[in-house]
Amino acid sequence: MADLETIELVKDIDVDKYKYGFETDIESELAPKGLSEDIVRYISAKKNEPQWMLDWRLEAFRVWQNMEEPTWAKVSYPKIDFQDLHYYAAPKSTPAPKSLDEVDPKLLETYAKLGIPLKEQEILAGVRKQGEKSELDGESGGEYASGKVAVDAVFDSVSVVTTFKDELKKHGVIFCSISEALREHPELVKQHLGSVVPQGDNFYAALNAAVFSDGSFVYVPPGVRCPMELSTYFRMNAKNTGQFERTLIIADKGSYVSYLEGCTAPTRDESQLHAAVVELIALEDAEIKYSTVQNWYPGDAEGKGGIYNFVTKRGDCRGAHSKISWTQVETGSAITWKYPSCILRGDHSRGEFYSIAISNGRQQVDSGTKMIHLGKNTSSRIISKGIAAGRSDNTYRGLVSAHRKALNARNFTQCDSLLIGDKCGAHTVPYIESKTSTAQFEHEATTSKISDDQMFYCMSRGLSEEEAVALIVNGFVRDVLQQLPMEFMAETQKLIGISLEGSVG
Amino acid sequence: MSALLPRTAAEDSLGVSLPNRRSEEWKWTDLRRLVTAPYARKIVAARDADIDRLVASSPFASVKAKRIIIVNGVYDAKRSQLPRGEINAVVPLADDVIVGIGSKLEASGVSLVFDGNADLPVEIVHVATGAAQQAIGVRHTISVAANAAATVIETFVGEGDYLCNTVTEISLAEGARVDRIKAEVESPEATHLSHVIATLAATAMLRDFTLTSGAALNRQNGTLTFLGENADAQIAGTYLLKGRQHADTRLVVDHAVPHCTSRELFKCVMDDNARGIFQGKVIVRPDAQKTDGKQSSHALLLSEAAEFDAKPELEIYADDVVCGHGATAGDLNHDHMFYLKSRGIPEPDAKSLLIAAFAGEAFETIEHEGIRECLSAYAEGWLARR
Repeated sequence: MADLETIELVKDIDVDKYKYGFETDIESELAPKGLSEDIVRYISAKKNEPQWMLDWRLEAFRVWQNMEEPTWAKVSYPKIDFQDLHYYAAPKSTPAPKSLDEVDPKLLETYAKLGIPLKEQEILAGVRKQGEKSELDGESGGEYASGKVAVDAVFDSVSVVTTFKDELKKHGVIFCSISEALREHPELVKQHLGSVVPQGDNFYAALNAAVFSDGSFVYVPPGVRCPMELSTYFRMNAKNTGQFERTLIIADKGSYVSYLEGCTAPTRDESQLHAAVVELIALEDAEIKYSTVQNWYPGDAEGKGGIYNFVTKRGDCRGAHSKISWTQVETGSAITWKYPSCILRGDHSRGEFYSIAISNGRQQVDSGTKMIHLGKNTSSRIISKGIAAGRSDNTYRGLVSAHRKALNARNFTQCDSLLIGDKCGAHTVPYIESKTSTAQFEHEATTSKISDDQMFYCMSRGLSEEEAVALIVNGFVRDVLQQLPMEFMAETQKLIGISLEGSVG
Repeated sequence: MSALLPRTAAEDSLGVSLPNRRSEEWKWTDLRRLVTAPYARKIVAARDADIDRLVASSPFASVKAKRIIIVNGVYDAKRSQLPRGEINAVVPLADDVIVGIGSKLEASGVSLVFDGNADLPVEIVHVATGAAQQAIGVRHTISVAANAAATVIETFVGEGDYLCNTVTEISLAEGARVDRIKAEVESPEATHLSHVIATLAATAMLRDFTLTSGAALNRQNGTLTFLGENADAQIAGTYLLKGRQHADTRLVVDHAVPHCTSRELFKCVMDDNARGIFQGKVIVRPDAQKTDGKQSSHALLLSEAAEFDAKPELEIYADDVVCGHGATAGDLNHDHMFYLKSRGIPEPDAKSLLIAAFAGEAFETIEHEGIRECLSAYAEGWLARR
């Protein structure tokens, strides 16, 4: 069923397969081009930040100036001129809107076009029912439909609006933009910001720490199971800008939160830079589930334009019995450089990484994970599915390591690659470091193409070549798809079909 | 970067700059830091009694073979049963560290040319007689003509603190076959660096096995290139390490043409504070369709302080291939131990049995029964000394 839809979708957008490539014509306020201490001060002043925050940024900027761009990843691109970018861009018409009604209708239109429902009442159990107000606004007292999603919408450098805030407040959950968190909950931010990814962690993380403009902040109090999915939607719109957002999620003792992230950008000839940092902190018995569907503009078939996606994502399982799970679907971006990691510090903590990375055209993906076992009886699981088509290169790069004191650490890694066509490349670069005999590590990897037998079977049942490929690929990635929240799963299946369009025949 | 670093004593005496861990290939074996002694090229005379004793200590002493004896890097005409031959076909690997050190040491060795099927294995015994901090360079070439077959053993034994640097080039013509067995049982204080470079023409066959059990510091590189279709290579190895031994193997298998098969199997046993490393890379070039490449490395850590690192890498540019790798690390299976103990086998014996079985899996790849038995006997002795 879903596969037939995929095929139809592909046909619909025959000419331009990237359906989010439109541009919103909205006046924006831009910082002058270039990066200097003054720009860092400018951004900090724009956000009315406290002095300690500015100092923190300046410290990061100083560290960044002395760092070299990393070159170890299997990606190649022209040198980025960091002085030729705007480090801050904000839609002009938003002097801190208090509610949705005050948000520029053009912005709402943009999100509607992207299929992101900001009007809270529009979503109920995953089915959009226009105008239905229903029990959501009443005192429902705890029982919530599972399909409800709170959204933090980030447009270029600023968070436009965060929905369902009041509802979440009742449960003590804080969900807001990080600039707001800096004003309302400075003690929480000060305590945790940079505690997982320090300012000088790597080149792009340092750059982000210096100039990050917005992002989401989540705090789930002890013992609370967050009543709905939280989500952020990132949209890059302005020309020649870089987007640098920072997300900080703290799950206090015994809490649970599921967080979704989506991203798109307009079709442009020149490449744009996106360097984000995500920090997750799970205290004792807490669980964080973080899902990403990354669909930045991948550039055209000849590799012109597209987003350079250099992201640092790291989770810290700080408390005993904590758990962090990363699920990612990577279909967009010209270049992806991304390694969501888990530091398994707490005893009995668990880290998971599920990934689908699809590359087509001239895309280059270098992605994977790091599982650092430090505590006793920690376990981790890595399932990575890479699909390379066209003239793309798709690399899995991962590290599993057990410290000397990480008694009884367990890891299972499986990374499979699928090649479609003979012009693409699929690479696997795993690092395994075991410093204790009590650790049990298992790693397996395979690379193959879609077997002729499978194709023959499907086509003998009347499927066209493209339909057959979509069906087989969806089967190939099933282990990971199952980890996605319901709302994302259906979308992702379609996305896979679209991403692979033109890869056969 | 490295050009800016001050030269170490070892770099001075060897006349080369050594790589450090900032170089990806040497990430886990920081040669610059690990090679500290000022090893230098020296011509050293050895006593006959020492040579004879060390030659006899080869694990393959009981195998019926033709022998070539190399003493402190010099061909021993008196003891060798085969002529030296003319060394030819020097692969210039200018940027390779080990070949670079070899050329600085003016390495020489023997050239073996096999035109027909050799009736007996050839064993090259390398003896180092422990002159303080001597650097020995050896370079051999092995070439096997079309449809010919040969078995070559390279054995490394010695006493004292020295550096042994060895480069072996193997070239196999169409349909040729070589079974190469290497036993690295150097002195426990020694440093062993080696690089084997093999090229396979169409339908050629390589069976390669390396036992790594000697030397304090060990780095063995292997570069294998398929030049013709339907060739077949199998590379296996066993590590038996203890104390503070450090062993690192890096293999690059280059599938440059279609229809070739490669198999890698490494079984690594580490006791005490030993550290074992396996880095394997399989490259499948564009158009090398129907490649079948499998790589597996398994580590058995017998002590809490032992360490194993692995980097099994795949770099694939052709779509119609079957490639895979597997890597595991852990201690002895508790269920297996329980089973054996419940059958009344005392714990130490049960352990030895399981370790021998684990390590022995790689021996099974060797066709020559006598050689296999010698290796099993060596493993038993190693276990008994543990």
